[in-house]
Amino acid sequence: MAKLYVSFENGNPEQLIEFDPSQAPFHHDGEPGSILDILLGHGVDLEHACGGNCACTTCHVIVTQGMAHLTENEEEEDDMLDKAPGLVSTSRLGCQAVMAEGKVKILIPRHTINQQV
Amino acid sequence: MSSSPTFTATIEKIIERTPETRSFFLRVVNGQKLSFLPGQFLSFLLPISGQTLTRAYTIASVPEEEGCFEICLNQVRGGPGSAYLFSLKETDLLCFTGPWGTFVLDQPLDTEYIFIADRVGVVPFRPMIARLLTTKGPHPARLLYAAPQARDVLYAAEWQKWECQRARFSFRPLTDQCEPEKYSIERVLLPYIEQHFVKEARPRSRQFYICGIGRPVLLLRDLLRGAGYERQAVKYEKW
Repeated sequence: MAKLYVSFENGNPEQLIEFDPSQAPFHHDGEPGSILDILLGHGVDLEHACGGNCACTTCHVIVTQGMAHLTENEEEEDDMLDKAPGLVSTSRLGCQAVMAEGKVKILIPRHTINQQV
Repeated sequence: MSSSPTFTATIEKIIERTPETRSFFLRVVNGQKLSFLPGQFLSFLLPISGQTLTRAYTIASVPEEEGCFEICLNQVRGGPGSAYLFSLKETDLLCFTGPWGTFVLDQPLDTEYIFIADRVGVVPFRPMIARLLTTKGPHPARLLYAAPQARDVLYAAEWQKWECQRARFSFRPLTDQCEPEKYSIERVLLPYIEQHFVKEARPRSRQFYICGIGRPVLLLRDLLRGAGYERQAVKYEKW
């Protein structure tokens, strides 16, 4: 079983999701097996205004441990992340970062809104 | 479910623009005016099969237009979101959050703007070009618009009107003269882009905006960036 630890910048209690990666997809939005897919499929809400199609940055997460267990960024994700508020070197889009094994810890930033008028 | 503020809108009018494309004219229920930047989208919360599906649709109207705002979308084969919307009728209600998205015009640059659209991907360019043409400065703008056939070119009369009225705007439809299932962006757009923007001499000083469906958008991106255009000079949105 893989483990995804989720902490929230807004102070919500940390959650641990244990899951079998071979069972992906868990939901219907984001890449199958992505952080977004795992979270939504286990009852943890993560904003995804574009429907999980790498067309916004509202599913921005910060990986605090276990980056090696995630698929590598593609150029499309990097282009989109450029516009994310609070970008750090371990930022990922939840809809694109697929987790296939191991233990990963992520932080969900307080601000996910991008360029709302 | 989204944790962002949710709006409810009434469908005031539905227009069939092509056999597979419809415009929905929406009005926020409490009469509130929707503020947005040209190119942004709304995130619709669609009740389908006992679940709430999130589907993003770009705003086709210009922010300054009074009254309703417009979304324009095509029916995706096997796509539950568009199938649901195409089943709706006037006076039905829709819930959405937003506006969202960063595929918008940056501060106008003193350079030529090239908008490259693939089929319904032209939608964000309608408000973006309208905004650009009302901005002071030279800002020449070209719209290269690929579609299977002439009948699939959305807002054709509007582009032609703008081209007649504005010397700095030109419109180039690129049609494949084929049925939609045989349409290929590689055949229609890539050779044109290669000939006009890749093989020509440097410097690379244009600003590109690309919008369309699927991986071909990334092919266009790679073609232009590979030819020496700056990363920030090639902006795109892939649906």
